[in-house]
Amino acid sequence: MPSNDNMPEMSLYQPVQVEDAISLAGTLAERGWLVGGGQDTYGWIKDRAKRPEALIDLNGIESMRGISETADGIEIGALVTLTELANNALVKERYSLLSSAAGRVASPQIRNIGTLGGNVAQDVRCWYYRRGLNCYRAGGNLCYADTPEGQNREHALFGASRCVAVSPSDTAPALVALEAQMVIRNASGERVVAAEDFFIGPDVDIRHTTVLRAGDVLTAVRIPAKWANAEFYFEKVADRNVWDFALVSISAAMKVTNGTIEESRMVAGAVECTPRRLTSVEQAIQGRARNQETADAVASLASQGAKPLNYNHFKMPLMDNLVKRALTV
Amino acid sequence: MGPNKVNITLTRRRFIKSVIFSAAAASSGAGWYMASAASNPAGGVERLVSINVNGRVRRVDVLPQETLAHTLRYKLGLTGTKVACNRGECGACTVLIDDVNYYSCSTLTHNVKDRAVLTVEGLRAEDGTLHAVQAAFIQELSPACGFCTSGQVMSAVALLKANPKPTRQQAREAMSGNLCRCGAYDHYLNGVMRASGQLS
Amino acid sequence: MTYMHIGKNFTPPDVEAKVTGAARYTEDFRRDGMVFARLLTSPLPSGRVVSIDASEALAMEGVLGVFTADDLPPSLPPANPALAKDFITYIGQPILAVAAESDLIAENAIEKIKIVFERRPFVTDPLDTLLEGGPDPYPTGNTLIRNAAAGAAAAGTTASGTDVGRIKWSLDQVTAFRNGREPVGATFGEEWAYGDVAAEFAQCKTIVEEPFVTIGYPHHSLEPRSGMAFWENGKCYFHGSLQSHTVGHAQLSAMLEIDPANLVFINENTGGGFGSKIFPYPIMAVTGKFARKLNRPLQMRITREEEFYIGSARSGMQGWLKVGLKDDGKVGAVDVIIINDAGSGGGGSAGSSAEHISLMYQPTAMRFRGVALYTNTTPRGAQRGPGQNEMASVLAPIMDKAAREGGFDRLAMRRANAPRPDAKFGPRQGGLSSSYMPEAIEKAAAMFRWDERVAQPKVTANNKVRGIGLGMGFHSAGANGYDGLLRIATDGKIYLHTGVGNLGTYSYAGVLRAAAEALQCSWENCVVVHGNSDLNLPHSTYQGGSNTMFTETRSSHVAALDAIRKLKEIAAADLGGAADDYSVGGERVFLTSDQAKGLTFAEAAQKAIDLGGEYSGQVYPEDINATTKRSVEAMKGTGLIGVAKDTLPKQGTAPGFAIAFVEIEMDLDTGKYDITDYTAVAECGTVVHPQGLSQAMNGGGVWGIGMAGYERHVYDPQNGLPANVGLYQSKPPTYLDVPAQMLTAGMDMPDPQSPVGARGIGEPAQGCGAAALMSAISDALDGHLFNRTPVTPDMIVNHVAQNGFNTGELKTNTF
Repeated sequence: MPSNDNMPEMSLYQPVQVEDAISLAGTLAERGWLVGGGQDTYGWIKDRAKRPEALIDLNGIESMRGISETADGIEIGALVTLTELANNALVKERYSLLSSAAGRVASPQIRNIGTLGGNVAQDVRCWYYRRGLNCYRAGGNLCYADTPEGQNREHALFGASRCVAVSPSDTAPALVALEAQMVIRNASGERVVAAEDFFIGPDVDIRHTTVLRAGDVLTAVRIPAKWANAEFYFEKVADRNVWDFALVSISAAMKVTNGTIEESRMVAGAVECTPRRLTSVEQAIQGRARNQETADAVASLASQGAKPLNYNHFKMPLMDNLVKRALTV
Repeated sequence: MGPNKVNITLTRRRFIKSVIFSAAAASSGAGWYMASAASNPAGGVERLVSINVNGRVRRVDVLPQETLAHTLRYKLGLTGTKVACNRGECGACTVLIDDVNYYSCSTLTHNVKDRAVLTVEGLRAEDGTLHAVQAAFIQELSPACGFCTSGQVMSAVALLKANPKPTRQQAREAMSGNLCRCGAYDHYLNGVMRASGQLS
Repeated sequence: MTYMHIGKNFTPPDVEAKVTGAARYTEDFRRDGMVFARLLTSPLPSGRVVSIDASEALAMEGVLGVFTADDLPPSLPPANPALAKDFITYIGQPILAVAAESDLIAENAIEKIKIVFERRPFVTDPLDTLLEGGPDPYPTGNTLIRNAAAGAAAAGTTASGTDVGRIKWSLDQVTAFRNGREPVGATFGEEWAYGDVAAEFAQCKTIVEEPFVTIGYPHHSLEPRSGMAFWENGKCYFHGSLQSHTVGHAQLSAMLEIDPANLVFINENTGGGFGSKIFPYPIMAVTGKFARKLNRPLQMRITREEEFYIGSARSGMQGWLKVGLKDDGKVGAVDVIIINDAGSGGGGSAGSSAEHISLMYQPTAMRFRGVALYTNTTPRGAQRGPGQNEMASVLAPIMDKAAREGGFDRLAMRRANAPRPDAKFGPRQGGLSSSYMPEAIEKAAAMFRWDERVAQPKVTANNKVRGIGLGMGFHSAGANGYDGLLRIATDGKIYLHTGVGNLGTYSYAGVLRAAAEALQCSWENCVVVHGNSDLNLPHSTYQGGSNTMFTETRSSHVAALDAIRKLKEIAAADLGGAADDYSVGGERVFLTSDQAKGLTFAEAAQKAIDLGGEYSGQVYPEDINATTKRSVEAMKGTGLIGVAKDTLPKQGTAPGFAIAFVEIEMDLDTGKYDITDYTAVAECGTVVHPQGLSQAMNGGGVWGIGMAGYERHVYDPQNGLPANVGLYQSKPPTYLDVPAQMLTAGMDMPDPQSPVGARGIGEPAQGCGAAALMSAISDALDGHLFNRTPVTPDMIVNHVAQNGFNTGELKTNTF
């Protein structure tokens, strides 16, 4: 295997206006690569497993920074760092689910530069794909992980379609749980996509994990007031408590009135190529108390329908257990 | 992909006050920094930028894709910053940018143009006195092999700037992006507690 | 005994430079005209190079040359070649190097090189090659044969005198073994026994029989093994990264095919080694020779990924163990089989694994049988207690099971079997220089409050359980026969020369305190001379195997004694009386009966120069090593020279022992646990440097946690591709995976065979921690055995769920 290490030659654009970034993104299309914190980007490029001709560095665009209140909730610039998100008073007060998730990403230094936009747009971590093998996702015609001897401990339980990689993001499930809206701009204008629809599985498009296409810039994320100050639960289980991606994570938002769960969003991370909404759990807990009894009654619904591979069965009890904890802690 | 192929109309108000180092971009009034070495694959076309390192403004040729670790080590001779993984997986290359700790192996130099970079070489006082973190790390025999030490020092300095009296648990979390393969974590934490005046 | 220096903290001379960034490591050295070399590594796990076309790369602007296996002396399996050609045996194996004006150009050039390869069958699981008809990792076989005539290779390395042979088992034998049964009638590569094993088993009331697997993992020293070399006036100046210094000098000269006198090896700081940099490693030959070929200073930069490939790794083990306990809790018999995964060109370390059992449990009779098998995975070599530590970790829960089944408290069972001063172990039933292990067990148990904790409730919270465990580590920790060298100069300072490497344990400086102690001089007037062979260094031990403290306090001591004799003789000659009438202290030699009469060290040094002969190094002992002789020759006439070979008496193995206790709180929902207490006690003789000991014990503990819970090789058996080339996939423990504070102590009881009572401790510090954590994990799960390291959260979750996937098949190199 080649062991590449240097950033190869490429151009660098540093626009300061979002319009310029959009224009560059449109013009460069597949030849360009948008960079926020770059913490996913530089590894790909140093490995020469991805070879854009130009980087479009978004960091100079002030309008994509900051967290502000809107008529219906808050708007978070795509360039807001994970550290800012974890420490922001407004987010912590109203949407602690998101601040907790952001605070568990990677390591402090990565959170200091890594952005919300980058965290949700990052590529999958399947080690075969990352090593530059020509798998389905890389444009080839096989999957190395979904085989009798594939080393697939970190891979998907659900939604496999040729590719069995999982969504690595810690914040993505939280955004789905909070019914976030993703603001996307391109040369033809702006569109707003529900977080739940923003992430796409290999059955929809095996080369992409989100609806973002060449020329698109994710500029902001809006969190509706609906879930402000709801009851939340976030937990990420990873091998090491720093750097490692989730083996499974749970993001739960619950509206509890008089001891009864009126409505909830339960979303698991790292079990499918997209954040996985556990709708059967959500339905089952509606109208019940947030307690051990409910937890015991519904937890096994979480992993229902899972199709484990050779080394990832543990994700089934693990996601069930995390649902149980979300309902009891 | 050269600059001439991009044709975007820009207005005067989008100009940035700091250096525009690409001559081509500047003459066309471009509102973005654009650096390119594409005309010379050997990497010959380098762009002169000013960066503030350890309180001094340094003029340096920087390739568009160059990482800060590379610039510091190989262009400014500041080899105190170590590169052990070059992938943001260890922390040996940690430096401060505007008082916040970052992995310099995973930061583009063109991103720190208007910001203050502090490396391990910039910590001593003008009279040569060691920084409190450095002195405490010596007293606690914090380093083992020493290859991660510069990064550990910088993360500790960043922590104490933000939180002068951290608890051991806070220190542990703040330092957690710095791997020590020798496993000298206890000694580094003792050093942080000592530097913050909480251990004597 | 009251010491002036021994047992007291001091600031080693290199610490300040480490915290200021001034400490320079190999890659920090630049030189005018320096060029950059990078490696092209194999995409195949097994095969050969048919042809190389580098023409396009060589035509690139800034590319200076290509260096291949043809530029090096031929190498035959199982030797680990610097560059492979006819025998590629793992993915990532270096094939060639390209040099260019910049690192980036070199990397770009590599992309332009076209190589035609021929594939061969490959294997990643040692049992797959052991099976009759299974693929062999080398065309000529699957196992190491040691040619006895050539002498044993150093632990975990492959030296000359080895060959590749073939050992195969029938399907029945392999199947039995995979399923945890004894493979009847199988062939082994090594075998030893003592006592009547069958008869002793017959005496045992409790018999436990278990299979086990430990997975090897990369050293991942934080400093990759880059090198820089340049040639000037026929001499090679080599900046390298080794954990030893002078002991590697002759080997590196041989690799470069030059006279040792023409090699200047510079290596003041080493960014970690953990056994992987004890001796010069193959790629150093490329660095030096490519620099000579181009006649330019050349930096060979090794990336993190390449450090995974060529930076060495621990061997894996797959085994079967039968142990019998007698009525009194003593171990009656042990029968153990170990299949080693030796990777490409490693030696395996099963023998030392078996010795660990033999020493730490003192069975009356024991048999060991083993096979070291190659696989098409990275080369394996010595890693922090090779053999012993992985055995300690996988053995602890099995011995716990034996204790439980026999009705013994786990601590009581260890107490009953602890190695005492008269302990014998291994095939030769050799003895120890001393042992205070029984005392160490008591001390650690008291610190941990074992009896109290055993009685505490198991369940701590909803779905959280406590587990407590204990583990012991051992490594042979001392050798003899090396040289000590010092110089008292006319400036009154004492220049303490050492050829010990600077691995970061500070023992290179710590051992010299023994010389200062004997000379009764202040440390402030001592100057440590090390790290550059041009500085006239003595022949010192390799830094590995916990060897430094015992071995080098002895050689420092004998050099000091030689200096003291000379000081006294000079004083007697100058001031009258007999040499014995004089004493040394306070940087003076003085008349014992009238301290005002004497010479300062500065004066004595001048007189030594005036006297010449042995006093100033014109004459030196015949028995010192050639390296030391060269150094003394270069120093002659510059002061009073103290130089001697350590010929102090030595008998038996000088042991390094450690015991750890661990308490965890395990979350049964997630398989994660917090280590709520880590207490470890070192039994390493007199403590020379308390902070250094604490550093070794804490660092070893972190390594133990890594072994027990996180680190392992993962290879895809379909294509021989390793998954964990980077640090994040290899998972060395972070700040948040280890306790916020670890409690460690040393017994501080003297070994009679060291002049200051010291022995080493590096390796056992890991073994005890790994074993104690494994023991605690098993305890938390009511004695469940995973029979493997590492134990990861997925295994715990599966076990708790009882879903039938708790560990899968026991196999090395996979999840």
